[in-house]
Amino acid sequence: MKKFTVILSMMLALMLALTGCVSSTNNNGNTASQGNNTEEGTNEEATNEQESGEVNVYTSRHYEADQALYKKFEEETGIKVNVVEGKGEELMERLNIEGEATEADVYITADAGNLHQAKERELLQAVESDVLAENIPEKLRDMDNHWFGLTKRARVIVYDKERVSPEELSTYEALTEPEWKDRVVVRSSENMYNMSLLASFIDIMGRDQAKEWAQGIADNMARDPEGGDRDQAKAVVAGEADVAIMNTYYIGVMLNGTDEEEKKVAENVGVFFPNQETTGTHINISGAGVTKHAKNKENAIKFIEFLSGEEAQGQFAEANSEYPVNANVEPSELLKSWGEFKEQDINLSKLGENQQEAIRIFNEVGWK
Amino acid sequence: MGRFHWSRVRHKGWALASLLFITIILIPNLLIAVEFFTEGNDNWLHIREYLLKDYLQNTVVIIIFTSLATMLIGTSLAWLITIYQFPMRNFLKWALILPLAIPPYIAAYTFHGILNYTGVIQTTLRNSFDMQVNQSYFNIMSIQGAIFIFTVTLFPYVYAITRSFFQNLSASVLENARLLGGNDIDTFFRVALPISRAAIVGSVTLVILEVLNDYGVTSYFGIQTVSTAIFRTWYGMMDLDSALKLAGTLMVIVMVVLMFERILRGRKKFFDPSSKVRPIQPKKLTGAKAWGVFAYCFGIFTIAFIIPLLQLLRWAFMTYEKVFNAQFITLAKNSVFVATIASLIIIFVALIISNYTRLQSGLLTKFISRVTTLGYSIPGAAIAIAVITIFMSLDQYIVTFLAQFNLKPEFVLRTTLGMLIFAYVIRFLAIGFNNIEAGFEKIGNRYSETSRMLGASTLRTFFLVDLPLLRGAIASGFILVFVDILKELPLTLFLQPFNFSTLATQAFKYANDERVQEASIASLMIIFISALCIFIFHRVLDKEAN
Repeated sequence: MKKFTVILSMMLALMLALTGCVSSTNNNGNTASQGNNTEEGTNEEATNEQESGEVNVYTSRHYEADQALYKKFEEETGIKVNVVEGKGEELMERLNIEGEATEADVYITADAGNLHQAKERELLQAVESDVLAENIPEKLRDMDNHWFGLTKRARVIVYDKERVSPEELSTYEALTEPEWKDRVVVRSSENMYNMSLLASFIDIMGRDQAKEWAQGIADNMARDPEGGDRDQAKAVVAGEADVAIMNTYYIGVMLNGTDEEEKKVAENVGVFFPNQETTGTHINISGAGVTKHAKNKENAIKFIEFLSGEEAQGQFAEANSEYPVNANVEPSELLKSWGEFKEQDINLSKLGENQQEAIRIFNEVGWK
Repeated sequence: MGRFHWSRVRHKGWALASLLFITIILIPNLLIAVEFFTEGNDNWLHIREYLLKDYLQNTVVIIIFTSLATMLIGTSLAWLITIYQFPMRNFLKWALILPLAIPPYIAAYTFHGILNYTGVIQTTLRNSFDMQVNQSYFNIMSIQGAIFIFTVTLFPYVYAITRSFFQNLSASVLENARLLGGNDIDTFFRVALPISRAAIVGSVTLVILEVLNDYGVTSYFGIQTVSTAIFRTWYGMMDLDSALKLAGTLMVIVMVVLMFERILRGRKKFFDPSSKVRPIQPKKLTGAKAWGVFAYCFGIFTIAFIIPLLQLLRWAFMTYEKVFNAQFITLAKNSVFVATIASLIIIFVALIISNYTRLQSGLLTKFISRVTTLGYSIPGAAIAIAVITIFMSLDQYIVTFLAQFNLKPEFVLRTTLGMLIFAYVIRFLAIGFNNIEAGFEKIGNRYSETSRMLGASTLRTFFLVDLPLLRGAIASGFILVFVDILKELPLTLFLQPFNFSTLATQAFKYANDERVQEASIASLMIIFISALCIFIFHRVLDKEAN
């Protein structure tokens, strides 16, 4: 009995000691102290921050290629990159709550809709940079320079090479015809790629027709939406459906992966870029912006400039099967093998503006 | 006992401590609850019109079938292991808790990985037997599939808690039942089940709460539940108000569940009436019966643990070179570190509150014991929001305070591990509390009453009498909380400081990018560490029992 009491007291002592440790290590670890909320000391703090050689990044991209690039940036500039990884929407919410007290300098996320939301919620700030203006086409960055696209992904029609010939395919809209009844798969409407796809249609064809399209796809689905993009490709090869709407990126990942069976799936499907004669194939981006209350603004800009540079862009394309935004950088061999294509000609901000409307439409037509 | 004036005074100390903790826990919850009673906007009407019915229906179907299945499997296993001796019983005794080490979202990815078109089953059928199979037979991404995943990952709650209860039943209870002519099956239904009702209901409640809060499994399977809807509304529609209304809806469901728990548990306190506890001696089974029982127990262990483990190992071999590096050691250290501290705090708080609610009955204590489970009823991400808000205002206060003394103002609390640990405590207190409360219920009040009658204070009694008797409950509470924190995702993702990741967030990163194979090593490490804890604590408990 006594032994147990001793153990318990030791546990408590340990607990107190450890909690003490935690707060002290973190005070040292997170040197980015902010004085912005108090009137005294603001200037002092500001100068301190300029000297601190670091940049704090919130990112929803979790790739080894990205981490390797952060290392490279550290080596070249001596600026330390601190990272919090998470889901794009959650990191945005965190930025929002933290307000001007945030420690984050850069927000990186996939989906232009997300980036636009971040801008609308006043979480990002305008950045003047000739480098960025030169490296990134106008269409792929915010008109007020609040965010900048870093990589592109195309949302295409993937088809079974045996059962479907590319001649049967034309546009996203054509998939709503009766001949495609029970032959289409696509993931759930909760997925932001789908939200952005529909958002682009709302911009191009108006709400009513966009809703008609969503209704048509929901009616033609071979099964209720489930799984991720890779699962859609598998459903096609398995014969559950004949075509899938999905991102090219995942085909690339499957081809470059270690799973032989997944490779076979990717090899058995064809990639079709829809709407080449009309409005162009839907593209989306991963991108970055400097947070509104960044304490290391200069470092943040340097960091994004680095990511838009030729070396980083080459990495994105090669290691991740994403299309570079920098026109000086060639896509990888694999991307080239799918051919060139015409992109939707809309400003990507529209994806964000129409996002809520898209969700409502999905709910109304019963696209789960 | 409230008659004694001195005891009342003593209880006030416990009451104050309990109330303090309760207040800390209540603040974030109140923050959320207040929003619930505002008027609904357009989005809310839209949700009510198109979605709410489906959300509720799916949610209710999943919890009903999952509770039935976990109850059936959990209690039957607990009972068989307690009263029979059969092949590999000593191994299965603790091994059956192991599935708890597998996070439901990892199990979902894994079973889908096994069953889908490129999974090992279909691949073998296709490549070796040239069979093209109907995909719908292998489709786990459905409501039934979700129920299956929840059952195989969560039944150990029921098993562990019920078994520790059965084990401490006196052999005389069983013998009396047998003397009265009942066979083992009769005894199970007429004696064991009624006596252990509180433990079973409590553990099934944990299962339900865990399911209600799940986001990973249901969103991956594409099933619309209230919990997935919260995120959809919050992040998709950018509508925190409507999301909080959905969270409120979830809370209402939880209240109903907890009310049921109270009713089903009954008001009676069951404790062993004999002063000397003689543990049940398992009866040795032979022949077909022995192998039958073995097959049942081992079969469930295989499905719930061995199969997913093998699949993860296979993936780990496929991706080992690409993914594994020294970083994983740091991740493991981080995970163990935060989980240990948070679990210790939770057990400490749970002990104080449950001792108080035991000593004193009445409205206040009822209220207090209900509040402890509140954190469990709210989606992790909502707790995260509340916690971050609180810490920021605390920080603001500290800065202002320091500035008055011309000290360099610094934000000290935010984005520290302290914030993350605080959130864990709120979220998982229910698990620790339920365990320890069940432990108190089991030992009853007679020992502590005797101790106090002999002149010891409640505090002294607590340390010298109650705590030693509670060792089992404390240990099992600690394991459950620890393992749960190790697996936890939404809170950790939301509140992690810079450059701080855990094994769970690492596994999530890969899985979220549909790179589940790369997630296997982090998943395996979670499972390994949890399994190790379960094993160690099991050995400790076993030694004690002898």
